[in-house]
Amino acid sequence: MTATDIQSPDPASKEASRAAANWLSAATAPWKKRATLSAALVIADVVPAIGFAAGLGLALGAIVPALADPGAASVLKAVTPGAALAVGSLLLRGVLGQAATLSASHLSQSIKSALRGRLMSGVFSGKLSDSEAMAAAVEGVDALDGFITRFRPIKTAAVVSPLVLIAAAAVVSPFTAGILVFTLLPFVIGMALTGMAAAAESRRQFVAMERLSGLFLDRIRALPAILAFQSETQQSRQIARASDELARRTSKVLKVAFLSSAILEFFSALAVALVAVYCGFNLLRLLPFPAPDVLTLGQAFFLLALAPEVYQPMRRLAAAYHDRQAADSAVPHLQALEQAAPAAVTRSINLHHAPALTFDKVTITYGDAAPVISDFSLTVPTGRTIALIGASGTGKSSLIHLLLGLSPLSGGQILIDGEPLASGEDLSASIAYAGQAPMVIPGTLEDNIRIALPQASTRQIMEAAAKAGLRGDLARNIDERGGGLSGGERRRLGLARAFLKPAPILLLDEPTAHLDAASEQALLAIIKQASEGRTTLIATHSDAVAALADTVVELS
Amino acid sequence: MNQRSGIRQLVAAQEKAQAGRLVAASICAMIVSAAAVVLLGISAWFLTSSAIAGLAGSVVAMTFNYMVPSAMIRMLAILRTGGRYGERVIGHDAALHALAKLRPQLFDNITRADPAISLGLSSGETSTRLLQDVDAIQDRFVRLSAPWGAGAALLAGIILCAFASPVTALTVAAIGGVYILVAITLAKFATDKPGRDTRIAAGAFKHELTTLMAAAPELRAYGMTQQARDQILASANLYETAQRRLSIGSGWQSLCQTLAMAIAVVAVFVTAASQPAALIALALLGSIAVLDAAGTLIGTLSHKGSIDAAMERLEPLVAAPKDNTDAPVQPRIDIYGQYVLDTRGRLGIGGPSGSGKTTLVEQLMYLRPVVSGTIRLDGHDLGDVSPQQARALFSYAPQQAQFITGTVAQNLRLAAPKSSDEELWAALEDACLAQRLRLSSQGLDMPLGENARYLSGGERRRLGLARAYLRNAPFLVLDEPTEGLDGATEARIIERLDTRLKRTGQGLILISHRPAPLKLCNEIGIVSGRDALGRVEIHVPAQAENRSQTRVV
Repeated sequence: MTATDIQSPDPASKEASRAAANWLSAATAPWKKRATLSAALVIADVVPAIGFAAGLGLALGAIVPALADPGAASVLKAVTPGAALAVGSLLLRGVLGQAATLSASHLSQSIKSALRGRLMSGVFSGKLSDSEAMAAAVEGVDALDGFITRFRPIKTAAVVSPLVLIAAAAVVSPFTAGILVFTLLPFVIGMALTGMAAAAESRRQFVAMERLSGLFLDRIRALPAILAFQSETQQSRQIARASDELARRTSKVLKVAFLSSAILEFFSALAVALVAVYCGFNLLRLLPFPAPDVLTLGQAFFLLALAPEVYQPMRRLAAAYHDRQAADSAVPHLQALEQAAPAAVTRSINLHHAPALTFDKVTITYGDAAPVISDFSLTVPTGRTIALIGASGTGKSSLIHLLLGLSPLSGGQILIDGEPLASGEDLSASIAYAGQAPMVIPGTLEDNIRIALPQASTRQIMEAAAKAGLRGDLARNIDERGGGLSGGERRRLGLARAFLKPAPILLLDEPTAHLDAASEQALLAIIKQASEGRTTLIATHSDAVAALADTVVELS
Repeated sequence: MNQRSGIRQLVAAQEKAQAGRLVAASICAMIVSAAAVVLLGISAWFLTSSAIAGLAGSVVAMTFNYMVPSAMIRMLAILRTGGRYGERVIGHDAALHALAKLRPQLFDNITRADPAISLGLSSGETSTRLLQDVDAIQDRFVRLSAPWGAGAALLAGIILCAFASPVTALTVAAIGGVYILVAITLAKFATDKPGRDTRIAAGAFKHELTTLMAAAPELRAYGMTQQARDQILASANLYETAQRRLSIGSGWQSLCQTLAMAIAVVAVFVTAASQPAALIALALLGSIAVLDAAGTLIGTLSHKGSIDAAMERLEPLVAAPKDNTDAPVQPRIDIYGQYVLDTRGRLGIGGPSGSGKTTLVEQLMYLRPVVSGTIRLDGHDLGDVSPQQARALFSYAPQQAQFITGTVAQNLRLAAPKSSDEELWAALEDACLAQRLRLSSQGLDMPLGENARYLSGGERRRLGLARAYLRNAPFLVLDEPTEGLDGATEARIIERLDTRLKRTGQGLILISHRPAPLKLCNEIGIVSGRDALGRVEIHVPAQAENRSQTRVV
């Protein structure tokens, strides 16, 4: 049904996964040293792990002789060295763990922050829809967090730590080390198999998630139609179905994940039991074969406490596997945003006279949709005003954005006084602009006007405000949501900026939309004055605004 | 707040509905924790006892019963693994079932909310709430079993340690209790606040992004793109910092847990020093396992701030429930007493752009905030009629029709779920779109893309028209139906509309600034703007003053 054009990247396909891995390692390459430090801190955990096991072995090993000989020093004294080692190791373990957390979370913030900085040019390119750009810049970057803080450090540790721990066991009992090596193999195979099953399930869950997300986006957007046709029940049934589907898929993924972790837990319990049985019978001296090494109680405890630690890093790797999948599936979205970054501006065009502007067979296409504008040709003669009218979606704003380099030119060219505008040439220095919702920055009204010409004097700003009909104290504060300004005043703010900037081209996008008739009427003379001596293009729905133009062009 | 908030009520209802699963998950959690504690304790005891028996010589060793303890160890290992699997699967199932019910409920709430709120929702932001914020509530369900597990672990640990000495048991119980209290207090600073900050900062970051993306042309024209980037990155930085504080906060909790373990090790050695070695080992590993299980409970606490913030973000989506048993109202519209329409009426509305023509007709259908004292439906003030009663009277083709992502047929059936393919084609024919669709090999099953992006502006308009034709409502409301169409197509559409209205007996309200469609109407109103109270002003056109003597049509 609705998923027909919701294409989801296939995170498990081999090439996609490899491409994602390449992109991720390239994107995180500058932080290689700190990533190594993070992994090293995780691996360093083997030191307190060995220390704790040794402390436990020493302490308990000392109890039995102490008890057997009542004349000896008290038990407490006998166990002190071992207990101290165990306690010290526990503390070291806590400190190392927190150091690893601090390092990894700091690293993650650095990488995410730098990546967002790099993606910002794509965000303002106008090539992706706002929601796509937002999803990539927020959730897409967030998806790397688990990859950086959990998956990557533990990935290295899962290979190195077990080997170090087994080597430590070999010092005390080579035979036990042999048992551990021998059980490691089926453990790794089991992990790979469950990992693959989990990948397949999580791919399906990912699709269900995308479908539900798309459904919500779509139905909230189409809410006016749903309400007008009283289709709420029908839609909510559909959402319930997709929602159930997601629950079913998620439940399957979780079952596989939980089963795999149960299997790994069981495997590790089995391996530990094998070590325990060997140690136990060794201590009882009841081994059915000639003992390869003779163990003391202390040594047996050391081996037994060490055994579960051997499997711990791999169990943690299995648990962190979904972090890698999340990162993999975010990569295509991040790449799209990265590639949307506009070509670097090589030349900023600063015109000192009102130019003739020509659209020559211009086509504008966003992504895979039908072109918004195709083969459109129009010339705005020097200093004249043209109004673009037509229903919404006919491309009025896209033409205006095109001059600002904010919509994708997929055919034709723009000419300035007959000279084609080359790619990398930027016209915005020569443009003054006012739209239907002028941006408000925190600060005074004066600050807000000044953004159009930072070096302007207060006198110049007062003149611009007066021309735009902005009355009252220029020093009054305005909050970011436009508090303190009425709808009409906000438009006047936009026009004041346009007056202030001495640019020879004026672009107005719906300068009076959503205003009542009286407020619109009051703005007409101001718009007329702002366009004087400038080459002006106005996109509007309003007949009154269109009447100000020398020529009216209807788009359809 | 005395009253329970709407979202909390919805969640509580789901907790009740999932009570069976939640109890089962809690029982599993108790089995897991108790088994883990006993397992570790018995293993330690067994190993030490074996060693002592071995030291005592082979005769003692032969009589040492190793069968029972080793069987217990096997059983406990299986119980622990199986129980953990059960707890996780059942707990998550409860959560997933609850969330699957919660999402459509929230969507229902949105459709019933005041249109001023619901139609102002940004689709991206709302979708995020319905997915991510609802997902955060999942943790709330999953963590419900954790206190039971921690309780069972503590109990099992106390019993085990009592074998060593009552003092040891009391000490371990005290350490466990104090650890939990300290960790709960620590959570307030270490994870609650960062968790809440993370969600709030995420919202602020997204808001900043949306606002500045919308201002892109202005930023560009005034060379402020760089400044905007810095502003966005500054709010991204606040968000990232909150995330980092949250993970560091969880780290402090782990450190606190290790510290408690170290204290427990010392305490067991001190209090149980005079006991047999096997019992010291049992108490030692048993108490470590107790603190491990308590740590699981503390781990679930780290989500609290984030869950609370998610619930707060969902709150605005929950509207006061309205009853849906509205009796139908008769199709009789009275606008300011100036125009009184029944289904024989055809009202044309003109007036300059921005004067409020669309606002007026959309108020009729509760698609805009309604101003009382202007319009009456079936004798009742519009403000006293429910949205459902009002909407049932109209079938609407707006200027910019909204479409769901899907096929032509799915969009048309939004208006009339039970209509046949023939009826769909007939409506498309009347809207002059049938020919275009016959050219497509998929016909009615042609996918339209997001908001019908594969169609041109004029085709979208005609599809919206066909959709409105299909709904069997007393009045057809058309907003600029022929805008942007060529003269011949316009003439065909008008002619077929006339025929259709005569056949269906529907009334018509038509907005247009073009003369041709207005000729269909037998009454004309001119909208001239809004008064101080926000009411749309409509009056009879000057040249038609004579005809307006008979206003009831």
